[in-house]
Amino acid sequence: MNAPTAFRQQLIATIPRLRRYARSLVFDASDADDMVQTALERALAHWHQFDQRRDILVWVISIAHNAYMDERRRLGHVNSVEPQDLQDGPDAPTVHTSDPGLRLDLLSALQRLSVEQREPLLLVTLEQLSYAECAEVLRIPIGTVMSRVSRGRTALRALLDGHGPTPTGTRSLRRVV
Amino acid sequence: MNTTFNDLPHDTRLSAWLDDELNKEQRAEVEAWLRDNPDDAARVRLWAADRDVLRARLGPALEEAVPTRLEQVVWSHSPSTLSSGWQRVAAGLAVLAIGAALGAGLAWRWQRSNPAEPVVSGDTGWEQRAVTAHSVYVPEVRHPVEVAVAGKSADESRAQEEHLSRWLTKRLGMPVKLFDLRAQGYELVGGRLLPDAAAPSAQLMYQRSGEAMAPRVTVYLRKPESTTPAAFRYERQEDLGMFYWVEGSTGYALVGALPRDQLMSLAESIYKQGQN
Repeated sequence: MNAPTAFRQQLIATIPRLRRYARSLVFDASDADDMVQTALERALAHWHQFDQRRDILVWVISIAHNAYMDERRRLGHVNSVEPQDLQDGPDAPTVHTSDPGLRLDLLSALQRLSVEQREPLLLVTLEQLSYAECAEVLRIPIGTVMSRVSRGRTALRALLDGHGPTPTGTRSLRRVV
Repeated sequence: MNTTFNDLPHDTRLSAWLDDELNKEQRAEVEAWLRDNPDDAARVRLWAADRDVLRARLGPALEEAVPTRLEQVVWSHSPSTLSSGWQRVAAGLAVLAIGAALGAGLAWRWQRSNPAEPVVSGDTGWEQRAVTAHSVYVPEVRHPVEVAVAGKSADESRAQEEHLSRWLTKRLGMPVKLFDLRAQGYELVGGRLLPDAAAPSAQLMYQRSGEAMAPRVTVYLRKPESTTPAAFRYERQEDLGMFYWVEGSTGYALVGALPRDQLMSLAESIYKQGQN
């Protein structure tokens, strides 16, 4: 049986969020959209499994996560995007900050995190999922989400600008370069 | 969480506070700690700043127009449709594997287009523009392309190729890759931007290596109105042959004054590279 129109409309509304999440994982915009397409197709194939009382975004993000993990397995965990390609690629999302060094550092640092730390960190900070939702997406206990988010944060910071606490006060973006 | 909260590593508690995952007492406890420990407070501020920069950096993806193909996937999906995207790459390769086994001509769904065939969409006629563009630019001696890729060194040529690919990708609003046809004996000359019905299209020109008046072939690329994969078609107009097809988010037309089998081996290579 085909997915009903209302479900398709709900699904379409999630596409921008899915695309952002995919791009935060695979960086290359075209690969990210392929991942979104795979997630959409899987969602449509299993639409009857979706419980309408739940948040469809959390549901499709968990499908996207599975698609991502499948693809990583298929590729043998090879990440082919070089940090320098992120800077001026035509598909790179535009960002309005005056400091290109920061953008590069942040994304390449993010890429260097293990996927076990990167995904929870992105789900919580970028997608603003609760720990419980994040646990549901990744199928890990909440306590694991907690510690991975925390370790991901610390690791990201260490990659960005060395170690140790830094002076308080207004934070200039420039200081992390 | 109450009983075990204080057993959690310090950073985990601070991090959970930042994510607003604590109950009232836990929150008060962490906030008191942060007041007394400016170094930790500074660290948490940095985490918050990293979070904000992440959002700022990746946020613009939300504002982008959703590619038509993704919406079409949702609207056109039915349980029987061949899934596309990554899974179709595998399917495409399977088609080619069968092609190798049976002889490409049999396995490829090429067919001679017939003027009496019903027109299934408005997305027709573009292949004629590909032929016209071919006929206009191929005879050019001095300006066959708008951006030439030949450079004084391999590095310079590579830089030119990257520039060409980036530029066309940007203008067409879809990934434009430059196909490597050297295995078939053709070198990339360069490319140009062309007007098409609704949006720009691109023409890449290739020339057989090592001959002064060597034959040239062109690859015409455009964003199709419909992303429904279209079967390979072959057409011949006097001495010009053409293969054209739609796959993924790209419409392809390969034009050249070559025998069909030679043109097909080029088309096959372009098809494979377009899949990767």
